[in-house]
Amino acid sequence: MIARLIFYFFAVLAVVSSLFVVTRKNAMHSVMYLAFTVLSVAGVFFSLQAEYLGAIQILVYGGGIVVLYIFVIIIVNLNEIKLERRKLFPRLFIFSLPALLFLQILNVLFMNRPTPPSGPEAGLTFPAFAEMLFSSYLVPFEIASILLLAVLIGSILVARKRLLHDSD
Amino acid sequence: MFALIPLFPLVGTLLNGILGIRYFSKKTVHAIAVGAVGLSFLASVWSLVGLLRSAEPVVVKTLYSWIPGSLVRLLGGRTATVSFDFAFRYDSLAAVMTLVVTGVGLLIHIYSVGYMSHDRSYARFFAYMNLFTFAMLVLVLGANLAVMFIGWEGVGLCSYLLIGFWFTKDSAANAGKKAFITNRVGDFGFLLGAALLIAVLGTLDTAGITAAVEEGLLSKGLATAIALLLFLGATGKSAQIPLYTWLPDAMEGPTPVSALIHAATMVTAGVYMVARLHALFSFSGTALTVVAVVGALTAVYAASMGFVQNDIKRVLAYSTISQIGYMFVGLGVGAFSAGVFHLMTHAFFKSLLFLAAGSVIHALSGEQDMRKMGGLRKAVPKTYAVFMVGALAIAGVPGLSGFFSKDEILAAAFASGSYGIWALGLLGAGMTAFYMFRLIFLTFYGSDRVEPEAKHHLHESPGVMIVPLAILAGLSAIGGYIGLPRVLGGGQWFARFLASSTGEHEAHLAAGTEILLMLVSTAVALAGIYGAYHVYVKNEGRPAERFAARFKGLYRLVVHKYFVDEFTNGVIVGGVLKLGRLCARFDERVVDGAVNGAAWLTRKVSSLSIGFDTYVIDGAVNGIGTLHRVFSAGLRRLQTGYVYNYALAIVLGIVIVISLVVTVF
Amino acid sequence: MIPINAVFGFGLLIFFIGLFGVLFRKNLVIMLMSLELLLNGVNILLAGLSYHMRSPRGSIFAIFIILMAVSEAAVGFGLVLSYFRQKKTYDMDEFNELKG
Repeated sequence: MIARLIFYFFAVLAVVSSLFVVTRKNAMHSVMYLAFTVLSVAGVFFSLQAEYLGAIQILVYGGGIVVLYIFVIIIVNLNEIKLERRKLFPRLFIFSLPALLFLQILNVLFMNRPTPPSGPEAGLTFPAFAEMLFSSYLVPFEIASILLLAVLIGSILVARKRLLHDSD
Repeated sequence: MFALIPLFPLVGTLLNGILGIRYFSKKTVHAIAVGAVGLSFLASVWSLVGLLRSAEPVVVKTLYSWIPGSLVRLLGGRTATVSFDFAFRYDSLAAVMTLVVTGVGLLIHIYSVGYMSHDRSYARFFAYMNLFTFAMLVLVLGANLAVMFIGWEGVGLCSYLLIGFWFTKDSAANAGKKAFITNRVGDFGFLLGAALLIAVLGTLDTAGITAAVEEGLLSKGLATAIALLLFLGATGKSAQIPLYTWLPDAMEGPTPVSALIHAATMVTAGVYMVARLHALFSFSGTALTVVAVVGALTAVYAASMGFVQNDIKRVLAYSTISQIGYMFVGLGVGAFSAGVFHLMTHAFFKSLLFLAAGSVIHALSGEQDMRKMGGLRKAVPKTYAVFMVGALAIAGVPGLSGFFSKDEILAAAFASGSYGIWALGLLGAGMTAFYMFRLIFLTFYGSDRVEPEAKHHLHESPGVMIVPLAILAGLSAIGGYIGLPRVLGGGQWFARFLASSTGEHEAHLAAGTEILLMLVSTAVALAGIYGAYHVYVKNEGRPAERFAARFKGLYRLVVHKYFVDEFTNGVIVGGVLKLGRLCARFDERVVDGAVNGAAWLTRKVSSLSIGFDTYVIDGAVNGIGTLHRVFSAGLRRLQTGYVYNYALAIVLGIVIVISLVVTVF
Repeated sequence: MIPINAVFGFGLLIFFIGLFGVLFRKNLVIMLMSLELLLNGVNILLAGLSYHMRSPRGSIFAIFIILMAVSEAAVGFGLVLSYFRQKKTYDMDEFNELKG
């Protein structure tokens, strides 16, 4: 009961704020709302008894990516650029496509009766999570670390100031 | 033996024709030619002797089986074996003909040595002359109409070759053509007659035909038809009405040619043929009458033209036509041997006259117009002498050969009751005397009208020309005596000799009537001579001119040869040409039109396929390219470079996939 | 108990909002932010599934997705920076070097 309420609360919050993310003209505002959205989604995770996931979400997304975005916006002085609106008609047409998709999937979902929850109650606990992570998904875990290394090097390479004698 | 007679000229012509033109000297050429004919003459004499001695009147020698026998169904139901052999037949008629041909031919050949001595194509001339002699001998020796026809065509060919001997001259070439073509028309009749003979009797053999007629295998109507058709051929060869127009023009040829071919031999081929087939002609009385009438009319008609011609040779040409008419008269009244007798005497004096005329022309360096002659008897006395002999002979002055032969014909005509024909013949005799002596007086008497140019070179002919003339003159004088009629003390040997091949002549006259007729014809002849003398010697031709002025229309008619040539050219030749032009137009329009139309069609089709190729095929190929371009231009627009567009594309893709998945489920 | 349909619905909603942002914003940075939204939406879905199946599998997968999102954001920003230095603009309409 409580869980349900919490869920709905955070879910609605997430949706509303995400709406604002995509509709703001000011990039800084969008970032703020993104942060809000991220936190709300974390709340959703918590309500879904995926605590670890929620924690990671706050840490990584909120503390990392949002901050990153803020820095980028500051560096590039985003507000200096005036942006104009696009024409309505093509937008409408294009909008219909994802809308269609959305409706289709919804349709599929609600056509079928949801199966009752199955599986052991203890599956959602953290130890279970950890156990699965380091047994079945060990290899992806290790590869992920390599990936992060690659990203680290790569982003530095990509973002640095190009000098004339660069070999790239 | 007699089969050898044609051999020598054949060898002569081959030698002279193939080798002589290039390699032989003039001496060699005429030696071969004259020698060939000379040998033929000897062979003929020998054969005659043999014939006289032997009991057989006829000898037939088969040389070669030409078309072997095959069983044929004839018209009228009978079947017979039809075959043709290349065979010679020697009898009294053949003997006479071969002697005439080779004898007179020999004399003319000798004369030609002198006459043609300055000519460029010496060897060609003698080659042709020998060829002609060969062909003529084949003609007279033929045992059947097929062999005769070979000779018939051969002399026609040689006539063409020799008339157009100087072919660079347009008039000569045309004359040659005219002769050949006119002959051809006659040959058409000959062939039809021969074809009918084959169809009805299955044979062309002289003996066979005679036998068939005597057995009565032939109906009168058919016999008449055949005879008339064959006679058509004879008129062509012998220059009678209606196929005579070629003979005057034939004078374009050298004078020896005129003498040999158109006086003595070729033109007599028709007479010979009728004499050979006397059985057939006698059987069909109608045909015989036609022969006589045609002959009589021709005799008078041609003689009339001799009155106004100014070319010396042309006068002689018309004279020939007229005299051959007499021969046919003789045949036509049933006196076949009389006709042949006249053939022989005519050969003598006509060739004499031609050769003598040639001598005159030679003396005058080529002048042939009598209006430019005159008073020549002192300049060329020998020529004048022989000419006179010939003229007297042809006029029928008693004692000379012409008198006997002509008289025999007239007597036969009278005897058979054809008084009309007799009268025509008498008239013709008078006319003959007149125009002949007109010629003599214009040429040898009277005022001198010779051009100074010609007079400068005036000379008598060389001996090689005079000697044959003299011989011929002699023959013209005495040649008639072998036919001396009984009433005058002779034995009519000639007629009796020929009887074996030409049949007996039935009608006879009382001796008194015959002498009376002779006197009448003599009177007519003398009247003619005196008339000519009166007009042309005493009065220098003025009466003639007055007559011409008074009867201008008549004069014009005769001078223009009754406009026959104009008629032929205009109607017949013009008609043929028109037909040819019509066919040419047809060919152009229709045939060429079709061909051109096919070409046009082909071109259109090919341009169509070009168009097809260009538009359709190339269009397809280009179209694919264009399509490609259009599509890629269109598709290129997808590559906007805008990421969000790509994102949209991804979304689109997902939509589709999900739709598919959903619908499948 | 949280109905799975609701979770799914919200997850999808956020996903589509993010999609909307990616397609319709000219601003490059905002577009990238919308991308994060997309990923978040997926994560919600996964978490919901994990909750429904009582298995940690879903959330493990979500962890990995977060990892990827991070890496992608980092590299993306690097690109953005270098792009901005060249073009001096954030207008997506200008970024059409791939045109044609």
